[in-house]
Amino acid sequence: MKVSAALPIGVAALFFESARRRREAEMRLVALFEGAGYAEVILPILDYLEPYEALLTAASRGELYRFIDRDGEQLALRADFTPMLARLLAPRLSALELPLRLFYRGDVIRYEEERAGRQRELYQVGAELLGVADEIAEREVLRLFLEALSRECSSGLQVVLGFAGALDHLLLDAATGDPLSLVAAVARRERGPVRRACPRLLAVVESGLPERPEDLGPAAADLERLLALRDELAVAFPRVRLVIDLAEFARHGRDPRLTAGLGERSYYDGVVFRAFAGASALPVGGGGRYDSLFHRLGAEVPAVGFSLSVERLLEAGTLQMEKDEAR
Amino acid sequence: MIRLALPKGRNLEVALAAFRAAGLLSGLDLGGRSLLMQLPEEGIEVLSLKDWDIPVYVEHGVADLGIVGSDVLGEIDGDLLVPVRLREGRSRLSLIGRASARLAAGSQVRLATKYPNTARRVLEGRSWGAEIVELSGSVELAPLLSLAEVALDIVQTGRTLVENDLVEIETVAEVAACLVVNRASYQRHRALLNAWIGRLEEAEVVA
Repeated sequence: MKVSAALPIGVAALFFESARRRREAEMRLVALFEGAGYAEVILPILDYLEPYEALLTAASRGELYRFIDRDGEQLALRADFTPMLARLLAPRLSALELPLRLFYRGDVIRYEEERAGRQRELYQVGAELLGVADEIAEREVLRLFLEALSRECSSGLQVVLGFAGALDHLLLDAATGDPLSLVAAVARRERGPVRRACPRLLAVVESGLPERPEDLGPAAADLERLLALRDELAVAFPRVRLVIDLAEFARHGRDPRLTAGLGERSYYDGVVFRAFAGASALPVGGGGRYDSLFHRLGAEVPAVGFSLSVERLLEAGTLQMEKDEAR
Repeated sequence: MIRLALPKGRNLEVALAAFRAAGLLSGLDLGGRSLLMQLPEEGIEVLSLKDWDIPVYVEHGVADLGIVGSDVLGEIDGDLLVPVRLREGRSRLSLIGRASARLAAGSQVRLATKYPNTARRVLEGRSWGAEIVELSGSVELAPLLSLAEVALDIVQTGRTLVENDLVEIETVAEVAACLVVNRASYQRHRALLNAWIGRLEEAEVVA
């Protein structure tokens, strides 16, 4: 009998050199996390759907591979580590000593339209810091994120920073009856619709920042803090291009009028960041603060974390090596 | 060096006219067989691609930016930035059919199109349903020869419709050639890209 070696769309089998390279990258990242005092958690690939029902958005629901088990339970394949970790920790937090420094590695399975570069199985490593308040946590997690990126990619790294709810004041103040369309226009940097609805948002669309911090209303103080953090990190990581761009995170609103129905996979409610390596528009990693995720699960704890896509990092690193050799 | 992807189809002339009105791409000669043209004095490299391939090239950063129709973006949304739309060359995406076509509530018809994803969105919330028949070209033939009751296709002047006894049943969307930019490229070349977009705006060739 002849068998086909074809695999379903969006998954890949790694052999020989490519398997070795991925495992080595994973081991380097694990060593970095362990060295920074983070302990590994091993999470299942399969879980009940029910604990996530209230957390799902239209987009994250559409990404889930879910099915009915033989006993009638609705199950889903792991599509994201952070909510799984949060829902397992929330009931146990009172019995655990904080802060918690945790890391994980493994696959997430997400339905993606069939397109080049869009995998349905993604190998991630990530780290979460729970129980450390405010900027101390953000500084620690961002430093670890930047260190991990810098070790895997020698150049061409860009990290974009923002914070959830940064544009809420401007968006809700705009002359539009359809704030969700305006959110989408800002996220895609569509100048025409933004100019018509809210000229003050145009500066954010063009440069990532408002003309005057006061334009952000109550969020102006958060911007000041983020600018200071960015400057501090830029000194420590001179080879990474660190920019604050509030339009990049336009979809991460905090006001329900700006998030309802948008369907982003977004639980971030504070600082949020994403990294690009090389030319691709697909980020190699990202993260942020997500205290409210725990709050919705009945626990109160400050939480900041990130994940990295090992395959995308490797791809960016390889392309960089090819470019260097070509020179 | 920044890399721009220009479309081969109906949007090429519109795009070139817009860039030239803004004082860009003045030295570009698309007459040759070269796949990749360099304009060192402008710091631009131009590649010529089919409309439908442009979103993929830009998303992967092979091209930093490109010009592509909003009809194509409606099908392949590569999470691209879309700062401006060109004023000229507008058309519309419409439901077309024979004048006798009836889309009665509760009926089930066949809808022929090159745009199945857009068609699915168009069908949401309609009182009638449709089986989508995906075609790669000459879509207007489908209602004419009864492969489908209706078609979802681009209408420019409407002359083809009139000549073939077809009617525009409903305009679904206005179609424009859009400037699309890769997210990572926008961060890296922000000053230059904003300057270009500014020049296109000043020349009043974009909206």
